[in-house]
Amino acid sequence: MRWIRTVALVGLMLLFAAAGPGLAQAKLKVGFIYVGPIGDYGWTHAHDQARRITERTLPIETLYVESVPEAQVEPFIDKLIQQGARVVFTTSFGFMDGTLAMAKRYPNIIFGHASGFKRNRNMFTYMADFYQIYYLNGLMAGALTKSGKIGYVAAFPIPEVKRHLGAFALGIRAVNPTATVNVRWLFSWFAPAKAKEATEALIAEGADVFAFTEDSPTVIQVAAKKGLPSFSHYSPMQRFAPQHVISGQLVHWEAIYIDFLRKVLAGKYTADNLQNVDYWWLLAEKAVELGGDFGVPVNPVWVPKLQAVRVNTREFGTVSVYDLVMRRLAQMSKTPVAFDPFTGPIRDRKGVLRVPAGKTMTVLELTTMEWAAPGIVGPWPKEP
Amino acid sequence: MEEWVLNTIIRGLALGTPLLWAALGEVYAERSGVVNLGVEGMMVLGAFSAFALAQTTGNPLLGLLLAAGAGAAAALLHAFVTITLRANQYVSGLALTMLGLGLSALLGRRWEGLPLLETLPEVSAFTYLSLLLAVALWFVLYHTRWGMIVRSAGEAPAAVDTLGLNVALVRYLAVVFGGALAGVGGGFLSVAYRPSWTEGMTNGLGWIAIAIAIFASWDPLRAVAGAFLFGALFHLSFRLQTWVAPEPLQMMPFAFTIVVLAATARRGGRAQGAPEALGVPYVRGER
Repeated sequence: MRWIRTVALVGLMLLFAAAGPGLAQAKLKVGFIYVGPIGDYGWTHAHDQARRITERTLPIETLYVESVPEAQVEPFIDKLIQQGARVVFTTSFGFMDGTLAMAKRYPNIIFGHASGFKRNRNMFTYMADFYQIYYLNGLMAGALTKSGKIGYVAAFPIPEVKRHLGAFALGIRAVNPTATVNVRWLFSWFAPAKAKEATEALIAEGADVFAFTEDSPTVIQVAAKKGLPSFSHYSPMQRFAPQHVISGQLVHWEAIYIDFLRKVLAGKYTADNLQNVDYWWLLAEKAVELGGDFGVPVNPVWVPKLQAVRVNTREFGTVSVYDLVMRRLAQMSKTPVAFDPFTGPIRDRKGVLRVPAGKTMTVLELTTMEWAAPGIVGPWPKEP
Repeated sequence: MEEWVLNTIIRGLALGTPLLWAALGEVYAERSGVVNLGVEGMMVLGAFSAFALAQTTGNPLLGLLLAAGAGAAAALLHAFVTITLRANQYVSGLALTMLGLGLSALLGRRWEGLPLLETLPEVSAFTYLSLLLAVALWFVLYHTRWGMIVRSAGEAPAAVDTLGLNVALVRYLAVVFGGALAGVGGGFLSVAYRPSWTEGMTNGLGWIAIAIAIFASWDPLRAVAGAFLFGALFHLSFRLQTWVAPEPLQMMPFAFTIVVLAATARRGGRAQGAPEALGVPYVRGER
């Protein structure tokens, strides 16, 4: 009788050995590592919304970990891989080196790192960037300011934020050559109390239109309470101040996630050919959207006010700022783009020529930008 | 100049109010001998419950009342663990902070991003009520029999026991009262200071309140000075960025408040030094 048991056991083992990989292959498991809580109403929230949409769209299964400290990303990646993840996305700049180290340790797993610049044969980079939208927001801000001072509450003095502030300032100066952007730095991505006091300080200084980089709707609320307009950031924040939000920046990370994972499922991208894969996706790729709410590029409350301001442009003659915004939006939504905010000649606020006439900035120049555009007033750490 | 002074005072009062409530609560808890590092957790629970009720009923004051209850309930847990079970107060407090942040985040998911129609003004009668409360708590602590019992529970619990009073009950009451105040402080954040609910919105203010309580030498009146001074300097740290580099300015409110409170501490006065039995569970017959 003993041999029957042995045969049964061996048979069972063979069955599991055959079924195991078959079951695992049924659905691709994709892991996400977030730097903040998914309820932060900003960066992490947007990535999580994208994860949900991606899961609904593609035959995949997702896992996520939230509020991961930037220095401790490695054990969390380990955990996701142990849970079966074959693709891991890490969604903060500070995860870069940890992700690269893990990519080298797990050569068969596919890694994606948001907002960084280091890649590997099994690690690609991706970013949905707002600089074109900030330029459009700047056009509107320049038209609407009465005091000539526009307030900007900024998170950290890093290239990404500096680039957005730069595009914003260029937009403002395109319609209002004397207006300034007054900046306050928070040194936090999420700090409602800091954002509140920084906004109060800018209001006291005379700023009357606001934009910001911070993961809560604080700036919008504080400005609206004083009757002042603002631009929404990252998430659809128009509902926090339906009368006061002019427009804003919205992200569609799912555009990138779906495109990339489709190619993984089709076998086009593997853990062997990602060395040069970098998604730098903008308006044309529909990774970002202009507006304070999805489908609403400009709050209807503000449309007549923007139509009432007319500017003289070389390209379109005299047009209303609203028409200018819409034309620039159309130009930047085409492939290839018909307009780029960072087209030379551009001098920084110290007068140094940064972009020669006829040239536009490269992706590398944009992602390492440290200089301050003209019109920016306030401290600028690491100003070249 | 006038605008600067006036504006700074207003901002100091606005941010100082929630800090003051939480700091006063911590003063009472610690005076009775119980360290509660769960202020951040109690505040964020207060912030969430105040917002939820204010959003539903349209009455921010009702929200604050619920916030007091939420803070008190959380503190009751800490009191049970540390006074009845005699667990380590620091560990329990840290756990309470994590519990508060986690629980409010979980419960708060569907309140995220909702606007609040009826809000409380940042500087209002409530501000003056807060000042009156601080004076009253100072008076009770130093000039009444109740205050003496609370202080004795923190300095010499055996003496309180000898008098036939219940040390555990005194500490329970002080800790729960402290939690209620922290809850109101948190509630103020979500219905007045920045009317909305965001996960983790206290963002470290609870820790600042604890620091204020300690550097104020556990004196309610000095806590008033600490809270409003910190609030004003916190605002100035952004206002001054035009002239001063932002990196050192970040530390300015913390450093300056500590220096001022430390420099003005009365040497040899009654306010000096931590309560003798702070952090030590009381067991009858043990020393």
